[in-house]
Amino acid sequence: MKHALGWMCLAALLGFAAPALAKPWQVDAARSTLAFTNTYQNVSYTGQFRRFRATIDYDPNDLAHAKFDVSVDITSLDTQNAERDHTALGADFFDAAKFPRAHFVTTSFRKTSDGKVLADGTLTLRGISKPVTLDVRFSPEGGTATLDVTARLKRLDFGIGTGQWADPSMIGDDVTVHGHLQLRGAAVTSGK
Amino acid sequence: MPLRSTEAGWGALLRAFHWLIAALIIAQGILGLAMVQMGLTPAKVRVFALHKSIGMTILGLVLLRIAWRLSERRPLDPAAMPPWQRLAARGVHLALYLLILAIPLSGWWFNSASNAPLVWFGLFGVPSLTGGYDPVWKPRALLVHQTLFWVLVALLVAHVGAALWHHFRQRDDVLHRMVVGPRADKGGE
Repeated sequence: MKHALGWMCLAALLGFAAPALAKPWQVDAARSTLAFTNTYQNVSYTGQFRRFRATIDYDPNDLAHAKFDVSVDITSLDTQNAERDHTALGADFFDAAKFPRAHFVTTSFRKTSDGKVLADGTLTLRGISKPVTLDVRFSPEGGTATLDVTARLKRLDFGIGTGQWADPSMIGDDVTVHGHLQLRGAAVTSGK
Repeated sequence: MPLRSTEAGWGALLRAFHWLIAALIIAQGILGLAMVQMGLTPAKVRVFALHKSIGMTILGLVLLRIAWRLSERRPLDPAAMPPWQRLAARGVHLALYLLILAIPLSGWWFNSASNAPLVWFGLFGVPSLTGGYDPVWKPRALLVHQTLFWVLVALLVAHVGAALWHHFRQRDDVLHRMVVGPRADKGGE
């Protein structure tokens, strides 16, 4: 018995069956998007951040060791309207000169009673850190996987467009963020 | 007061179209020239939204007006009017119709190519003409919109000048019949 425990400790140390040490997924940047939906003058529009880095450690059968760490280049904003992008990067909104990156890191993952996976984390945007929960949908397919995450935020929580721009009939407060990531190079354990 | 135009003068509906569209065009010119000078504030966004809504209103009214105008006769020109003046008047009127169609259309086109919202007086969305952002056509549409505006200003100077000339120099009823309709002594329908 004592002997067996020793072997298990050794195995853990060597990284066998230790998902925390599993290599993270590789994100296929060309096929991955980080988009958001908001309203302007009550009309819905979609924007994207064209450049972001994501480190994805995720095995649906080992949520305890799952971790997302995402860093977003705010200046890569693209809402398909050059003037709007220029304004949005200015001091009244994202203030990209002062806060060129946003950062999201998960703190814990949980499963709801209806089987959905939620990732709790902290989003730091425009120098303000707030808890944000992602709805996680993960579909493995052989050695690849797609990961779709959705979060609902309030832009005013992060001081984006306050003061004269706070009016939600001009710019909606609610923002839905949707990340779609194509992953490869890691594996999902078979245990259920 | 007849609704339809007669050989003696313009009917009430055409006069209503004329003066309503004229008032909206003047408002649009003032708004358009003022709004581009404004610093970026929510007020500027609202003035732009108003300019777009009025522009779409003008477009709709002009289409209705053309349909109505085609359905009725044109009052007779003053007998003393030489052929070159009749031709010039027809030419300016035709050009004015084309401009007050083309200017709102080019504004709509510019707005579409800019991927900017267009909600008519906050009530309903007007669809995009370009299906999204179009950085190639955007500056062209703006150039068309602005150039045609100044052509319109020039033609309006001629149009108003001619109307005043008819009224004060020729002392005919060309202006009168557009303001209050045919003179009673000239008969109506």
